[in-house]
Amino acid sequence: MEGVEAAPGRHRSLADQLRSWPDERLRRLLIERLDLATPAPHDFSQLASRAAVRTSLLRALDSLTRGQLSVLDALVVAGQTSTSELASIVSASPGYVTAALDELQLRALVWSSPEGLRPLTGVADCLGSDPAAGASGLRPRSATPRPAAELRASIEELSPEARALLDHVIDAGGLAKASTTRTGIPPDQASTPAEELTSRRLLQSGGSAHPGMLVVPGEVGLVRRGGRTTLEPVDVAPEIAAEPRSPRLVVSAAVGAAGEFVRRTELLLQGWGESPASALRTSGLGVRELRAAAQRLGVEPKEAALLAEVASAAGLLGSRADADGNPVWVPTDDFDAWCALPTAERWVVLARAWLASPRLPLLVGERGPDQKPWNALTPELAAAGMPEAKTMVLTELAALPDGSGPAAGTGLPSLVARLAWLRPRRPRTRVDLVTWAVEEAARLGLTGAGVLTDYGRALAREEDPVPLLAAVVPAPVDHVLIQADLTAVAPGPLEPELARRVQQLADLESHGAAGVYRFTPASIRRGLDIGWTGSEIKEFLAEVSRTPVPQPLDYLVDDAVRGFGRLRVGLATAYLVSEDEVAVAELVNHPRASSLELRRIAPGVVISTLPIDVLLPRMRDLGFAPVLEGADGVVRVGTTEQLRARRPRESRGAARAAAQSAAQIEVALRTLREGEADAQRRPASASSSGGAASALRDAIERRGRVEIGFTDRQGVIAERIVLPLRVEGGELRARDDAADADDPDAVRVYPLHRISRVTPL
Amino acid sequence: MTDGPLIVQSDKSLLLEVDHPQAGECRKAIAPFAELERSPEHIHTYRLTPLGLWNARAAGHDAEEVVDTLLTYSRYPVPHALLVDVAETMARYGRLRLEKHPTHGLVLSSTDRPVLEEVLRAKKIAGMLGSRIDADSVAVHPSERGNLKQALLKLGWPAEDFAGYVDGEAHTIDLAQDGWTLRDYQRDAAESFWHGGSGVVVLPCGAGKTIVGAAAMAQAQATTLILVTNTVSARQWKDELIRRTSLTAEEIGEYSGTVKEIRPVTIATYQVITTKRKGVYPHLELFDARDWGLIVYDEVHLLPAPIFRMTADLQARRRIGLTATLVREDGREGDVFSLIGPKRYDAPWKDIEAQGWIAPADCVEVRVTLPESTRLAYATAEPEERYRLAACTREKVGVVRDLVARHAGQPTLVIGQYLDQLSELGEELGAPVITGDTTVRERQRLFDGFRSGEIGLLVVSKVANFSIDLPQAEVAIQVSGSFGSRQEEAQRLGRLLRPGEPGPDGERKVAHFYTLVSRDTVDADFAANRQRFLAEQGYAYRIVDADDVQA
Repeated sequence: MEGVEAAPGRHRSLADQLRSWPDERLRRLLIERLDLATPAPHDFSQLASRAAVRTSLLRALDSLTRGQLSVLDALVVAGQTSTSELASIVSASPGYVTAALDELQLRALVWSSPEGLRPLTGVADCLGSDPAAGASGLRPRSATPRPAAELRASIEELSPEARALLDHVIDAGGLAKASTTRTGIPPDQASTPAEELTSRRLLQSGGSAHPGMLVVPGEVGLVRRGGRTTLEPVDVAPEIAAEPRSPRLVVSAAVGAAGEFVRRTELLLQGWGESPASALRTSGLGVRELRAAAQRLGVEPKEAALLAEVASAAGLLGSRADADGNPVWVPTDDFDAWCALPTAERWVVLARAWLASPRLPLLVGERGPDQKPWNALTPELAAAGMPEAKTMVLTELAALPDGSGPAAGTGLPSLVARLAWLRPRRPRTRVDLVTWAVEEAARLGLTGAGVLTDYGRALAREEDPVPLLAAVVPAPVDHVLIQADLTAVAPGPLEPELARRVQQLADLESHGAAGVYRFTPASIRRGLDIGWTGSEIKEFLAEVSRTPVPQPLDYLVDDAVRGFGRLRVGLATAYLVSEDEVAVAELVNHPRASSLELRRIAPGVVISTLPIDVLLPRMRDLGFAPVLEGADGVVRVGTTEQLRARRPRESRGAARAAAQSAAQIEVALRTLREGEADAQRRPASASSSGGAASALRDAIERRGRVEIGFTDRQGVIAERIVLPLRVEGGELRARDDAADADDPDAVRVYPLHRISRVTPL
Repeated sequence: MTDGPLIVQSDKSLLLEVDHPQAGECRKAIAPFAELERSPEHIHTYRLTPLGLWNARAAGHDAEEVVDTLLTYSRYPVPHALLVDVAETMARYGRLRLEKHPTHGLVLSSTDRPVLEEVLRAKKIAGMLGSRIDADSVAVHPSERGNLKQALLKLGWPAEDFAGYVDGEAHTIDLAQDGWTLRDYQRDAAESFWHGGSGVVVLPCGAGKTIVGAAAMAQAQATTLILVTNTVSARQWKDELIRRTSLTAEEIGEYSGTVKEIRPVTIATYQVITTKRKGVYPHLELFDARDWGLIVYDEVHLLPAPIFRMTADLQARRRIGLTATLVREDGREGDVFSLIGPKRYDAPWKDIEAQGWIAPADCVEVRVTLPESTRLAYATAEPEERYRLAACTREKVGVVRDLVARHAGQPTLVIGQYLDQLSELGEELGAPVITGDTTVRERQRLFDGFRSGEIGLLVVSKVANFSIDLPQAEVAIQVSGSFGSRQEEAQRLGRLLRPGEPGPDGERKVAHFYTLVSRDTVDADFAANRQRFLAEQGYAYRIVDADDVQA
């Protein structure tokens, strides 16, 4: 990798090598393997020890490309070797191998021992056997491999059956059950194809690592594959099938979708601010609520689920208890601030939240493993790999030539294939994740007709997309056109404050870039209910309309004002009074009045057993215009209070998380350098248990022997010289140095907490 | 972004800004595929419907063209989902084809086998199809051509009909353009109908739909069956055809309750055709009486259900539907489209008015306040009685009298729904009353009297809603109607829109349309619904209080 100097020379241990690195390179390591930095390691042996832990290794391998994994796999096969020899056994250009090795060293997966490059011991196990994840399926070479020419000659002598068997075993992972096959016999005594192989040591005993098994040594596999670990080249990433699209179509489609997404989010949350969506016991959003919301917005339920999930990820939607203590989903206090932002900024808030969100809204409505349909906003509806899938999709789309997008039909599969090459080890659900990411990006308006927009690119590069988007979103308009059919048309997106006020007085009939609002007696009455007066309404309409306000609308307002407040409902006793006896009669005799549970007790006075919050809306539904009367007999008219939830803590910013991890890395670096000075003064042996594990891992990587002091089960303190093999799960597996080569009991397990002292020899 | 006149909404409505310099050009470009929904004064609303898009396909436009038009004229970005939807919807058209096969007769065939398999499995369609001919085609019973098309449309796989039309029995018909000429929009309407084969022409009342029918007949040059709403209307058609074409009275037959003549051009009423005796329609043979080359459906928005069924069997004949208001409260517009044919021509009322072919109108809603006693009666009445109670209030009589007095000297119609109310009004105003019970002869006499100016005030029931040509009428006062019917309101206004001759001062007449509504009752609610069609056509109602009228 350019900009980072390769580690010079060879090192006694991984810790030594790390110690020799400059800060810049260490920082890169900690960025790539963030888990090594938390908590800050106190010296380099601990850092090196952590780097060799299985979970950390798995995580590091997950972020490698298939090509890098193939190079690593080749190194495992080779055991320990030089860069040039490694280049000769990988089906890739030497330049690629060098670059990959550098990357692997940077991630502390490979280090330069005095004998050559070595992978960390745990790597072989962690690589697995999936060829799609870079595994060649070859076993490691023997300690002293026979020359290739000699092996080729042995293979020449084989019968076709034996050769087929050999190839089969190699392709199946290089391991076979020994069963009754004899080993150690001369070739002329071989009676089965398997014995033909064992007699020529093409199949060898598995030893203590694989008791009862036969293995094909790596060098034999290499010979059968023409000296390389794989038959296909490993350094070619699949290309995305792309085709150019008309820029006009792209911008139009993307900006259209982006505007639409912001608008729908606002509509959705506004609706839930007025009548909150009740939450399920599992804290998700019920199917019925979702469908109702989808219908209100005129979209399919999946789109509504995406809107809700993104709003929730952006901290605009939260849950709280309603007046009865039931959990409900309502907009958060941030929603009001968000509403006041210009469209482009509002979109960016949503898009950033989407990019960082692990949620899977497009799964909503599908059935889960328990055959129950997934609900939106349930905590389980997430996949850890989703943010990465989104980022990678955007990065890949950004890498396509300007104005090109994945081709129709073949584009998506090729994108999936490319991502599978770039991150072959996980996740297993990649096809779904990528498909969702692509679809969600289109719905959010990051892409138009499949092509990533310039503001989408900016977002993917973590730059500010606002100016780019603001240049293309329609400018807000500050007026409407009111027509004789009692509609008001906003010929563009209304300014937020204006839109809010128009919506108080009229029903939104058609939405999109523009808006069509219809005035009805009910909508005007709603305006009166929240505190508008007749003259205010008229003044407002005259002010915002570019066209003269038609006379019928004026009349409608007057008529609503006239009818407004004719009935009064009492809070304390749930009574209804009116000077207008006829209105009372009208109410009581209304065909649907039975639901109001009304009883007339005197001329102009009616009581109801219903609580007022049920009674009021029902009466309004029936077309009456009651107003609320306080205990002192004064009519109470005022703004209705919309519910707001607090923004949940955890969603306060992906930026903060990033800053946190950056700070963590700096702390780790400082601690390392400081700990270093102490370590210089400490003896090489370790007596603390943490130090013991580090020292043992260090020895494993060096493949060196140590003397351990430990307490056995009888409480006797003993000392032993061992070759440590693995430290895992609080135990050390080590081979007794004094034991014979084929002693099955040579490998013993020592609980780490019983080891009091480790002295490298 | 461009500064186009069109705003494409995500709910598939298109808003066209009328005053924009490109508006005319844009209107022309979107007309083939978008349905004009509302045309008030500033912003016209079009809608993209599957039907409209399929009609566009039938007329030879493809999805790319539609998308390009939208992008060209759109002021704002067009949502991608909408463009995809347009392309997908249009791609569904023509996967299935109705064709004439030399040996098997009518066949349904497809180049897309899964689609054919899908529709073959639909239960509704099974009975209409004959045997399978090969993997890609299946025989169709010729009589089911219309039903099949209708059913396929409902399934979302509309068939393209290549089976063509029969020419019918030839008969010479020419337009006699002496002293008058075909107006531009009439010629356009007749031509776009003829090119489309079959379909519906929508023109405002008083814009001369009969002449469009005559022009279509002149194009067809074949025997013609004309279906009209009632006998009076049949006579008007006959007179008009004699005046406007080379046809003579002997060539035109009337087929109604009283007369049953079948001639090269026959005018029949819906009523006589739908008369049922002993469970059968005895006059059905009329359709087969001659080899008709053209069938004209007047006032197609009123087409009764039995005629729909009969029409389904006539798919091989050319059909033209005429109407001013293609809105049906029963929502069967779709059947009109699939059985008569798609909309071939539509003109906003205000456009025709601007050209001077129909009179401008002043629409006023007069709100009548009910007296306390009536309100109480209303409030306690059964729901089904409420409209009648509210609509027939005595208060309206006084207002009608004032309005008639105000427009003294101008021919005036008082239109209502309820016979009691009408006879009451007739007595109060001293005016003759025409209802369904009035004989045809009496009706003709009264209408003639009105036309000649002898009678200045008529009280009429819904019999005068349609097709009655009273060019002299200048004032209409509506006291009640059939609930919230939008087309009735429009048709009633339509009675006033014949432009008539300019007066001595050169001023053309301005029609006055009053509708009396009882405040705070269902009457007002229905009135609001009734006015929607006209309001959407750009007719601005003024609302005044009855007291202001009387003052």
